[in-house]
Amino acid sequence: MSQAREDTGMDEGQWEPRILTFCCNWCSYAGADGAGVARMQYPPNARVIRVMCTGRINPLFIVKGFLAGADMVMVLGCHFGDCHYLKGNYTCDMRMTYLKAYLHAIGINPDRLYWDQISASEGIKFTETMHKVVSKAKTLGPIANELGAHAKGVHTEGSQPETCEFDAHADGVQDGPTDAVTADIF
Amino acid sequence: MYYGRATDQTIQERGECGGVITAVLVAALEHKLVDGALVIKRGESIYNGAPFFATTREQITEAAGSLHCAPTLSAKWIKNNLDGARDVRIAVTCKPCDARAIIELSKRNQINIDNVYMIGVNCGGTMRPEPAREMFRQFYEIDPDDVAKEEIAKGKLIVVTKDGKHKELSIDALEAEGYGRRTNCQRCEYNIPCMADLACGNWGVIGEDAGRATFIEVRTQKGQKLLDTAIEARAIALRDAPREGIALREKLDAIMVKMARKAMATQFAQFDGEHKFERLFAQFDKCDGCRKCIDVCPICSCVECFTNKEFVVPKDTAPPDPMFHLTRLMHVSPSCVNCGQCEDACPLNIPLAAITHMVQSSVQQTLGYVPGQSIADAIPLSTLAEVKA
Repeated sequence: MSQAREDTGMDEGQWEPRILTFCCNWCSYAGADGAGVARMQYPPNARVIRVMCTGRINPLFIVKGFLAGADMVMVLGCHFGDCHYLKGNYTCDMRMTYLKAYLHAIGINPDRLYWDQISASEGIKFTETMHKVVSKAKTLGPIANELGAHAKGVHTEGSQPETCEFDAHADGVQDGPTDAVTADIF
Repeated sequence: MYYGRATDQTIQERGECGGVITAVLVAALEHKLVDGALVIKRGESIYNGAPFFATTREQITEAAGSLHCAPTLSAKWIKNNLDGARDVRIAVTCKPCDARAIIELSKRNQINIDNVYMIGVNCGGTMRPEPAREMFRQFYEIDPDDVAKEEIAKGKLIVVTKDGKHKELSIDALEAEGYGRRTNCQRCEYNIPCMADLACGNWGVIGEDAGRATFIEVRTQKGQKLLDTAIEARAIALRDAPREGIALREKLDAIMVKMARKAMATQFAQFDGEHKFERLFAQFDKCDGCRKCIDVCPICSCVECFTNKEFVVPKDTAPPDPMFHLTRLMHVSPSCVNCGQCEDACPLNIPLAAITHMVQSSVQQTLGYVPGQSIADAIPLSTLAEVKA
């Protein structure tokens, strides 16, 4: 964690969400690049992993990400029909739908997984998404609230955001996973 | 739907309710419809039974009758010991969970379903051998080795001893004490094996036939073929089931399903709610990573298990990394048939079946996939459906 704090220049003791971000090489990674080239400002909480296709992402990578201390996981891929490999993003969509239901079933708030589509030219959308997700992560609070002792390298003490307790209804998430699942995808 | 009875006197006596299943198996074997029959053979006592591949009439007849205190699963046995019925035609007697597991394995190309004739038997639940012995000693006050027969009917667990004495106790009361049926059986909503080729059982047999005939429902063409073979061989005598009998069978099933839903709600409540993840891992952290749950699971059939990869689960730690359980749950839960083998095999008594079943029933709402129902339903996430947007 200390490493991460240095990376982002955070003060000791202040909790900042860490967001594991998977970006598709062909769209979102280029989109993030575009945002950087255009000097758009966005919060520094994301740790980006570039993958050749969102269809490459095993849902277990995301589960492992949560266990490794990611407060939110973001998966950014191509728009439907734009996949470099034709249907990788459909596969990803299918898996994310299942993964959200699965996370709900094992007691991780499915809202901690965010799946969206950002093309190479959408630098603005990338920064907007980043702002949106970081504020979402702040309302959700540290992952340790849900994982307990199983979250690695995470602060359980120190200043925590006000709404750190997980309350599905406060966030407008339905009890059954179905509604929550489709809400974010499109 | 029929009432049936074996014509052979010995088979009729040996069988549980008229010996139809034994007679059908023998007829199928003798008329070369199958090469052998997979039956559950009794060991030295009623608490001991194991799958057995019978290839003669005598072997099949010997295995007649049911064993409620010897929970087994034949699906994985077919995969491991008969090479998934690739080159051998078999008839197999199955509980609904056996049938569902066979269907799930055949979807994974582990069992050749074309060679498997499934003769389903109604199942109201099975008991684990050791707790059953304990229960007979404590609540029935009889020597467990004196038990000749046990039967679940009308909410009572009825025990008949070798000297012919009956004793019955309410199953609800026994289960409240932690005895009775296995917990996964308490939660089971599938009591009539409608996914098998033939669905047999004693439910819905009324009038003078009660206890002496078997209710038979033909579910598939393969089932019809089995039955036709037995009729041609004059091995069984059939008559149409009366309407009241059919209604009674449906009513009994509805009662069992209602009980199962209630058991599900109460058993899942121990994990649900606040801090669910921590509550699950309070159980999982008992694990010592022996992998028995994976060995016995009828869904786990990968040649190379993902949890064997060092980057997923670091080697040689106890308890194993949480990823071990999370991987297992993720891979198994969409298709879990709630057979309870993992829980039986677990040396540390982790309620694995309860947890997997809970995750299964939760993700089922999203996936819309009911495991083990039909060979036509594709496994979730295996095929790309038509595009939504």
